[in-house]
Amino acid sequence: MEQTPVGAPIDSALLLLLIAVPLGAAALSTLIKSRTFDRGLLIGVPVFVGASAVGLLVVHQDHPVLAHSVGGYLNGLAIPFVSDTFAALLLLVTSIAAVMCGWFLIATGEDQYRFVPALILMMLTGVYGAILTGDLFNMFVFVEVMVLPSYALIAVTGTWRRLAVGRMFVIVNLLTSTLLLIGVGFVYATTGTVNIATLANMEVIDESAQLALGLVVVAFLIKAGAAPAHTWLVRSYPNTSAGMMGLFSALHSKVAIYAIFRIFGTIFGEPPAWTWALAVIAVASILIGSLSGMAEKRVRDTLAVQMTSGVGHILVGVVLLTSTALQAGIFYTVHHILTMAGLLLVFGAVEQVYGSGLYRKLSGLAAREKPTAVLVVLGLFSLVGLPPTSGLWGKVGLVVGAAAPTEGDDTSVLGWVLIAAIVVGSVLSLFALIRLWRAVFWGDAPTSYHPDSPLTGRSPSMSLPTDVRIPTRLLTPGAILIGLSVLLFVAPQPLIEVTQRSADGLLSHGDYIRAVLGHG
Amino acid sequence: MILAVTVAVLVTGGVYLTLQRSMVRAVFGMTMISHAANFMLLASGVSAWRGEPIDGRTDVSLAADPLPQAFVLTAIVITLAVTIFMLSTAVFGHDDDQYRLPETGEER
Repeated sequence: MEQTPVGAPIDSALLLLLIAVPLGAAALSTLIKSRTFDRGLLIGVPVFVGASAVGLLVVHQDHPVLAHSVGGYLNGLAIPFVSDTFAALLLLVTSIAAVMCGWFLIATGEDQYRFVPALILMMLTGVYGAILTGDLFNMFVFVEVMVLPSYALIAVTGTWRRLAVGRMFVIVNLLTSTLLLIGVGFVYATTGTVNIATLANMEVIDESAQLALGLVVVAFLIKAGAAPAHTWLVRSYPNTSAGMMGLFSALHSKVAIYAIFRIFGTIFGEPPAWTWALAVIAVASILIGSLSGMAEKRVRDTLAVQMTSGVGHILVGVVLLTSTALQAGIFYTVHHILTMAGLLLVFGAVEQVYGSGLYRKLSGLAAREKPTAVLVVLGLFSLVGLPPTSGLWGKVGLVVGAAAPTEGDDTSVLGWVLIAAIVVGSVLSLFALIRLWRAVFWGDAPTSYHPDSPLTGRSPSMSLPTDVRIPTRLLTPGAILIGLSVLLFVAPQPLIEVTQRSADGLLSHGDYIRAVLGHG
Repeated sequence: MILAVTVAVLVTGGVYLTLQRSMVRAVFGMTMISHAANFMLLASGVSAWRGEPIDGRTDVSLAADPLPQAFVLTAIVITLAVTIFMLSTAVFGHDDDQYRLPETGEER
């Protein structure tokens, strides 16, 4: 079965390498007991996939979609793996975040716990597979491949609370996966296929099929941490270590977001009958996520609820489903992955050195830790949407997308509601994050800390020597990610071009269908 | 109809058990919900008795739909793995699944 379009520079079967390499690396990591080797794989594999994603982005300029039917079965019956601009972009960004989080875990020494590199590589397999697959059931399988290692990873490092939280994390995720499975089953029952291209190729998606896909979307919304089902995320992620939380927030939630974009863009193409429900969820996520930060007691709890707010912003693009809005949503996704992972890693460095993320135990760091303070200010600005960071362009893009007239000459009521939610949400976030800043960086100079020793673990409170500083090697990964956010403020145009092509590729799915089905 | 009733009974029992405090009961509850999902998947194909879907053995018009069966097989494998993991979480850690809040060892 000849799948590669005529003149394509690479064989599309090579797409499978992006899944096979991390999986093989995970197996090697369990077989070969060498810390250097593990570290090499932990960094090398995402670098390889990231570099391949850059290559794919270049290829997709001329060949918008590459598809491969596994085993050469009949198109439409085979399990396809598909790469388009959107998939390649997500591969690249998740790989960047994975490299930085892996680097941070190596710097804190968490990579030496049993099987941690192997589990992370297995998680990456699931992430890359879910991004590249062109089949809803296969997506479910890869999402499971992604969450299974995380059940173990969440219990490896972090506070003691993680042991109790691990149970809740497993049950919520298994229940959500079951919901996803039932949704995929309903899609098969109503349409007779779970192939994304075949679904996209249908003349009309009738209402029962829309509801079936709606159930799939609900499952992904829970996995992404959208309100009102976000509390599991807020209560579990902060209890694992910062590096692990950065990895989870960059990979898990964003794969769910990717799936929602894929379902709305490629399969629906125009808003389904229940899109108002998604609008309510988006607005609720923005407002609840921004507001809840005021009541949290720990730094990473506040950041976790900000993740919910970020999901709400990203959903704005899906609710409107115009080319401009979708482009803005994808831009915001990229911005949010980089900023959130960056902030988590910087605060992870603070926690590693000072031994606590509690507001009441931290204070007055601004005078001691000048570089950290600068990074945190930039990161928090990026979350709120202030210059000089990518957050500004992210939010401006969403507001412009929402303001664009859909029918008639005026901005629709929905548009106004979404704009109001974004503006109010930004102000609320600003207050919540000022509270964070005041608690951690202002106030009296710190006098005590809990130093962390690799031999004895976290010690009880001790008086703080004046020469304790956050070492540069802990700060670098987070600094690079926040630096990328600033870079995207200065030069957003290359990324906007890519996100625009991604959005257009999602909405005009002709190329996608042709590449997968070989006709259409 | 029998399939639908079975799914309803399994989900009811599963939800009740999952909401119990004991981890083992919650695991049984999740198992029941997963079984309900499997029946649901089977119902998405043709639920009537059909021939085995093997080329040369059965006429295509009489063969069962193999896809839901493949779905169920995959789902069973995944559920089995997670169930074993959940049962192990019920064993290790503290004996905190009965009548008191877990000792987390963390000060708030």
